[in-house]
Amino acid sequence: MGLRQALAGLAGAAPVPVFAVEGPGAGAALDAVRLDPRVRLVDSPRAANVLLVVGGVPRRLLRPTVRVHDQMSHPRCTVWWPRGAPTRRLATRLPGILLVGPGDDAMSVVMDTHRTLLRGDRPSDPAVLPDVEPAPWRGVGPYRQGGKGMTGGVPFGRPMATRAPDRDRLELDFLPVRIGPCIPFFPPGLVLELRVQGDVIQEARIGEPAFVLSPDRDDPFRQALREPVLIVELERARARHHLRWAAGALRFHGLGALGERVLRLAVASELNVADARALIRLLERTRVLAWATSGVGVIPTERLAGTGLGPTARATGLVEDARTEDPAYRALGFAPVVTRGGDARARWRQRLEEVVQALELAERADRRRTEVTGVVESPHGRLAAGSAPTAALLERLPDLLAGQEWGDAMTTVVSLDLAPALPHTPAAP
Amino acid sequence: MRPHAPPLLAPLAVGAALLIGVYLTAVLDRALGAWVGGRPLRPGRALAGPVREAALLVLQQRTRTERSDAEAWALAPALLAALAAVGVAVVPLGPAAAVADVQSGIVLFGAAVALVMVAVFLNGWSANSFFPLLGAYRFVALALSYEMPFALVLIAAALPAESLAVGEIVRSQVGLWNVIRQPLGLPIYLMTALGIAFWGPLNLPDAEDLAGGTRAELSGMALLLWRVARSAVLVAVTAMGAAVFLGGWQGPWLPGWAWMAIKTLSLLVALLLAGHLLPRVRQERFVVFGWVVLIPLALVDIFLSGLLLLLR
Repeated sequence: MGLRQALAGLAGAAPVPVFAVEGPGAGAALDAVRLDPRVRLVDSPRAANVLLVVGGVPRRLLRPTVRVHDQMSHPRCTVWWPRGAPTRRLATRLPGILLVGPGDDAMSVVMDTHRTLLRGDRPSDPAVLPDVEPAPWRGVGPYRQGGKGMTGGVPFGRPMATRAPDRDRLELDFLPVRIGPCIPFFPPGLVLELRVQGDVIQEARIGEPAFVLSPDRDDPFRQALREPVLIVELERARARHHLRWAAGALRFHGLGALGERVLRLAVASELNVADARALIRLLERTRVLAWATSGVGVIPTERLAGTGLGPTARATGLVEDARTEDPAYRALGFAPVVTRGGDARARWRQRLEEVVQALELAERADRRRTEVTGVVESPHGRLAAGSAPTAALLERLPDLLAGQEWGDAMTTVVSLDLAPALPHTPAAP
Repeated sequence: MRPHAPPLLAPLAVGAALLIGVYLTAVLDRALGAWVGGRPLRPGRALAGPVREAALLVLQQRTRTERSDAEAWALAPALLAALAAVGVAVVPLGPAAAVADVQSGIVLFGAAVALVMVAVFLNGWSANSFFPLLGAYRFVALALSYEMPFALVLIAAALPAESLAVGEIVRSQVGLWNVIRQPLGLPIYLMTALGIAFWGPLNLPDAEDLAGGTRAELSGMALLLWRVARSAVLVAVTAMGAAVFLGGWQGPWLPGWAWMAIKTLSLLVALLLAGHLLPRVRQERFVVFGWVVLIPLALVDIFLSGLLLLLR
């Protein structure tokens, strides 16, 4: 047995490094991937061997996905788990792509493909895009590093730094940067166009909004718009949603193992108040609710009054909750939980309190159903036909990010839970 | 003459110590991650995991970026590992067992630690990519805030020994370890050691909010070397912590090297656990904390140590 085979044998037993790209309709499919010890989701495509595309690939995600594919190291392959989305477009661009069929186990496909890849039984995916510079480099100097017309704008296809006053009115370089739609801690699909000076964001713009991940029919909140649904289902779904969000936010704050614990609770078949309380006590002992989030991304109360932005609005002290309009909830003694502060820490606290409240309501609700249709309090806020709470939140994002340091700005994005609840972009590609 | 290893044996001894330390770091980190994550711990998986992942990275090709600085990029992990090696070399394992217990060992260690900034900056800058560059600048912006208190508490520990040799500092702790004599020392040292090794709450250059920061563009062997070098730095700072604050090789019944290993591993577990339980700090807040709290406390530590020395 050669050295390569020996290494391939060893490597085949390691967790498969996977970079995931989520498209519309991906739902919570990645939760199972995150909890599977046979794979490891990595935060940069460079470190991945397998590109896992989950959900549909609309036109605006096509080129970024192909670019991510080409950024991966050899040996590499792509597995597509479309979950019912049409599959032609991406399959044409990436000929070697493997499809996970409706009856297939996605993890088995990933594992088997990776093993054949390591053994050399399957060729590594070739690059799809031409590996050339966007335009000929025309710099001068010993390293061709300089030249006229090389500051500002996008000369030769590259955004260049130029000067502008910073927050202290000093003339400093700023750089235009476009990030998304495949950043691991971003809501999938979200693209931000930023102008950064050092690590301070001077200006932000929404390039593209986030995708709708949840398939419409499975979403109890969407169902509650049309017909009365069991309160126990609605509240459990709310608790699970907030726990899923907390798991992602913990990963973002560098607490992957703790995030895994929270995610396991979010997907557990039995979810009870005692477990949720124990979790909150644990999280309070870590400093997530203190130094990592305190004072970050403060939204003043008056800016959110009347917006129906759910936990984000209630975290600024506003008592706004569509559930108060429902007699079924009133009969359960429901009163909205409210936190003060309006910063990322308040949003954390608010969601964790709402997890406990939702599970308490679920325990009391028995077989009771909602009595109001046409409007429902979703985990993102007030949902009514044609309205999208996260879209309203997204509009406020640029103002919130401007002037923040990179880390704080990203903490703000994560704390707002921007994955949309209703399709304000087409759900299917 | 202070103990030192023969020139040919020294690199082997340092290499072996670092490799064992790095392997144990990886195993312990997995075990603690499983415990914190509430996942069943499989000893086989924890023990073989680092080797398997290393094999995977060896088989992965290295990628390149547009107009990267290839030489500097290749140098960065080597430099980081070399600095960790210098750090470990000056830490004695026993009264007569040291690779290079030089007269100014603590100064050499401090110099190596200060240069970690260069390695991290090179790694981030050479990729010619946005996230790594931002990670690199972050480290430079933060470095002074923890390097100063780190160096100050080491100097305070050297005062009772009246020597800069690490072996002498260990000997000065007979009967009373520095962790008791200088209660401010070890907590400040451990807090800032996390920054030196950019680990856990102080992992700002390679952070998740930068999609991996300075390592975002690394793959294959380069990524493996970077991860090994970073763990090696953690091993070096914990070994020094064990020698300078926990009495080094001193302890009953067991041989000196065993006490050193136990003490180093306990500090390692403490730091790894902090990595799993404490979120990343905010950059600006930590700079303020460093200058307003840590540096003055470290100066108080020096002042009190000097006072005790005068009153002795």
